[in-house]
Amino acid sequence: MASGNMKEIKRRVKSVESTMQITKAMELVASSKLRKAKMRAEEARPFFDELYALMCRTAGETRGLDTVYAVKREVKNRLYIVIAGDRGLAGGYNSNILKMADTAWVGGTKPKIIAIGKKSVEFFSKRDYELIGEYPGLAEMIKVADAADIAQTAVDMFLSHETDEIKIFFTQFVSPLVQNPVAMSVLPIIAPVGNLDRPNRRTVDYDPSPEAVFGRIIPRMITSLIVCAVNESYASELGARRTAMENATDNAQEMIDTLSLAYNRARQEKITNELNEIVSGANAL
Amino acid sequence: MTLFRLKILTPERVLFDGEVQSVIVRTTVGDKGILAHHEPYVAALGIGQAKVKNGDGAERIGAVSSGIIEVTEEKTTILAQSFEWADEIDVERAQKARELAEENIRRWKDDQRKLDISEYKLKRAINRISTATRK
Repeated sequence: MASGNMKEIKRRVKSVESTMQITKAMELVASSKLRKAKMRAEEARPFFDELYALMCRTAGETRGLDTVYAVKREVKNRLYIVIAGDRGLAGGYNSNILKMADTAWVGGTKPKIIAIGKKSVEFFSKRDYELIGEYPGLAEMIKVADAADIAQTAVDMFLSHETDEIKIFFTQFVSPLVQNPVAMSVLPIIAPVGNLDRPNRRTVDYDPSPEAVFGRIIPRMITSLIVCAVNESYASELGARRTAMENATDNAQEMIDTLSLAYNRARQEKITNELNEIVSGANAL
Repeated sequence: MTLFRLKILTPERVLFDGEVQSVIVRTTVGDKGILAHHEPYVAALGIGQAKVKNGDGAERIGAVSSGIIEVTEEKTTILAQSFEWADEIDVERAQKARELAEENIRRWKDDQRKLDISEYKLKRAINRISTATRK
């Protein structure tokens, strides 16, 4: 019995060890990729912040100038651009952002979805969402041309009243250990509160006209927002994966320790039993 | 000459952040020069060159491909899809991109979307080449 038990434990230790090797390797891969992705996301951040601020500022300045982009409508139809990873095994990374998008809407019709990343595509197609665009395989690196396509589709839908609200769901990279899923409103552009009360506010000169500038700028703004959001998300994904794999490796180590302890106990027990048998055999003689 | 703060940003990096005398950019409606105390202004940028006159009067030229320029009281910001200083441009690469784009334009004669993209790429390549060679 005891020897059978020992064999079983040994087999399990081996399998846990090989799992640990894999998780360890994934952790290392994620952390080396993370360095690059983090740099890319951080370098894009000034652009991203400036762009979003500009969008909001412009919306504030043009209040009263009926631009269709800044007018809030009653929200009946929504369009969500949801960015998740192409791969799993990244802890809560994928499920956090997907669940957030899944539960973000109340009333009205089910949001239409533009899904970026394989996991996002899978999630929404399983749940009967209407997918306007599917972009699996872009979570690591999105081309400007693809982002421009998505932006144009979104803007066209907004202009043709197919959607009253466009939001982009992505994961903000705070640090390798902290990632925040966020929902960012894209259209209509929401002006920051208090912008109108700024003293000596001067009217902005738009070349050639606000409408024309908006028409040209907005798709580009959204394109850049998408590119930046994908970069942020990818860095977050790698951060989340590294943490998850680190935990998995630690857990595997712990499991191996427990199993070794059990193995040694079983071995000792077996020796004791054998000794007992020998001694009692000698006594019987 | 009065200086003002100029920031040039792309999604890849911050290219410039400092005090300048003037900047000239190509907007979708023509070239536009900005000096200090310019009124608040927003315009879309086309494919073209940007000329920046530094605080010491030295001029630098960069190749811009589509973006936005915003002038506020505090600063002027150029948010560009891509921006390269003339001395950073890889002319050989731009030359190759140009040839590829020309070839694609011939090949995708019937596909409007692909044609548009190729045309855009061609314009960018030509802009890069002319920016790099005229320094």
